[in-house]
This record gives sequence, structure tokens and C-alpha cells, in this order.
Amino acid sequence: MGTPKGQQRQGAPEPSELIQLLVDKDKEIKDCLKTAGKQAEVQKTIDELKHEVDRRDLDIKILQKNLKEAENVLQTAIFQAKQKLDSIKQASEKKISSEELIKFAHRISASNAVEAPPTWAPGDHRRPYPTDYDMRCGWLAKMSDLPTNTPTQVAQGSYGEPMASNRNQAIPGQDMAVLPPPQQHLSVTWQNPPDTGSTTAPLHPHHNLIDFKGHNKENEDVELMSSDSSSSSSSDE
Amino acid sequence: MLMAQSRMTQVSNSSTFTENEEQAQLRFQTELEFVQCLANPNYLNFLAQRGYFKETNFTNYLKYLLYWKEPKYAKYLKYPQSLHFLELLQYEQFRKELANQQCAKFIDDQQLLHWQHYQRKRMKLLSDQADHANKSKDSKPS
Repeated sequence: MGTPKGQQRQGAPEPSELIQLLVDKDKEIKDCLKTAGKQAEVQKTIDELKHEVDRRDLDIKILQKNLKEAENVLQTAIFQAKQKLDSIKQASEKKISSEELIKFAHRISASNAVEAPPTWAPGDHRRPYPTDYDMRCGWLAKMSDLPTNTPTQVAQGSYGEPMASNRNQAIPGQDMAVLPPPQQHLSVTWQNPPDTGSTTAPLHPHHNLIDFKGHNKENEDVELMSSDSSSSSSSDE
Repeated sequence: MLMAQSRMTQVSNSSTFTENEEQAQLRFQTELEFVQCLANPNYLNFLAQRGYFKETNFTNYLKYLLYWKEPKYAKYLKYPQSLHFLELLQYEQFRKELANQQCAKFIDDQQLLHWQHYQRKRMKLLSDQADHANKSKDSKPS
């Protein structure tokens, strides 16, 4: 069955050649199909591996997150521990015995120095600070040689001379090393001086260092002022 | 007193200051008293009006008195408010203001109110506690 010889064109390929070409092509196609099949398998492996890699990646990410969280927690813990250590150190540096604390608490509370007495009413002369009367009863007034008025006088306004001798000595810049006096064991701040009537000599030295007013004169001024001035009468609400 | 006179000779003779135990004790006591007197606003007004706060000596002395803030000295204070005033007195503005009578009066009023504040707070606490106790007693039988 081929075309009759007369109808064949010249130069046209022979059927056997065509068939050979066909067979070759078929072979090629079969080979290609085989390769494709192999490639498909390889691709499958690739996909599986990729999948595996993705899983591992996810695991790594999770681990990373956990690590970060752990780091944060530890950092916080260390920071707080450091703070605690600092406060422990601070506390141990400034130790105060509980007995002293209680003594101090008693001292400031018992005399109503920090809390008003429950029965306090306007017109009561008690105050959260040393009053005129208290000051006159104390050492300071005695040292200043203030003439003692009647102890019941409660008008404010007449005060004694501040401790001038101490004042004039404590001048930084000079060579004096005036240190705070060593603390004494006192139980009461305002004590009645042992000898009330014996000191008549003026107490305050006239220092060469400072131009200091004569003490007695000042006393007189104070007395005058206290009697004349409409002094700050404690208005109680 | 002999002590003061001996102190005078010491001061005028040498630049170093030595004192015996008795003098130290007296100084302690007087400085303790003085520092606590600073809690009295009327006294501060008095000092301001007489110009003590303008003297450099006095301001230096106030600075020196800051040692009372240390615990070993502060424990002898009966009026701890005085430390607050001592701190305020380090400022010139405060010292200037104290010459004003009204300023001192204001401080005095505030001090009194603060003094009463604790009392009122505690009374309130106690009354609240009593109310609470009463309520629980009432609820129990029912």
C-alpha cells in the first residue's frame, strides 16, 4: 500500500525511512517517558525532604522562642535577686536594734510630741514643739542667764539667746575641728537645772573673733519686746 | 559659769578646740535643746526678726547642727519635726520668709493640723474596727 510509483514526488522520503523515523521517535518518546518517571520519583523525594526540612525549621523556631522566653525570665529573676541583695546589704549596713527603735518610738509618742493627745481642744497649751515654757525650763535658758519669769507665763515671744558660744565656734573654714559632741545617755531632754539661783555671772564670753553684742543688753531688749509686743498669740482653731 | 569662761580662753588662745567630758556633755545637752527649739515656728520667727539668720556664723552653725540627722544622735530627739525644720533652714529663701509673722503663723497652723491628723486617723481606724466588730456580731446570731 503505498502510493503508486507514478504519484510519488521526487525526493520524497521512502516509506521505509518514514517508518524508521516513526520507530525512532517512538523509542525516543518511550525513553522520555522513562526519564519522566524517574524524575517524578526524584521529585517526590525532593518534596519529602522539603517537608522534613520545613518541620525541622518549625522545631527550631519553637526552640528559639522558648530560649528567648527563658532568657527573659532568668534576666528578670537575676535583676530581682540583685535588688534583694542590695537591700540586704543596705539593711545590714544600717542596723538598728529593735530595742532602740522601741525606745525612740516611746520617746516621741509618750509625750504627745508627734500625735495630739485625744483630749486636746483649742485653748490647750500643749504643742508639737517645745513651747516657751519648756524652753525657759531647759538648759539653754539657764546658760543664757535669762532671768526667770513666772513659770506659768505662756505668752509666746520671749526667748533666750541662742547658744552663742557654740555658734561662734562652729565656723567652717577655720582650723578648728569642732566635732559634734559624743552622744550622752540621757533619758529626759528638758531637765530642771540643778542650780537655779547660783549663776549670776554673765555666761557669754565676748569673743575676739566676732563682733558680738553684749549679752545682758540683749536680754533687756528681749524682755522689753516680750512685754510690749502683741506677740503671736497662738490662735487655736 | 566656769565652763563657758574656760571655753572662751581656749578659743581665744589656740585654734584647736579641746573640751573635757563635762563640757562635752553640756554642749551635747544644749545643742540638743536648741535643735529641738527649731521646731517652734514662733521661735524661728523671733530669730528671723532679730536678724540672726543673716549672720554667717549662725548659718554655719545651722549647717553644723545637721549632725543630729545621724541615727546615733537622732535617737535622743523628742521632737523629730525639728530635723525637718533644720533641713529647711539650710535654704536662704526659707530663712528670709520666716521674718514674716504670717508665714510663722501658717507653719504653726499646719503643724497643729498635722499633729492632730494622726489622732484623727487612729480614731477613725478604731471606730471602723468597732463598727466592723459590731456588724459581725449582728450577723452571727442571724
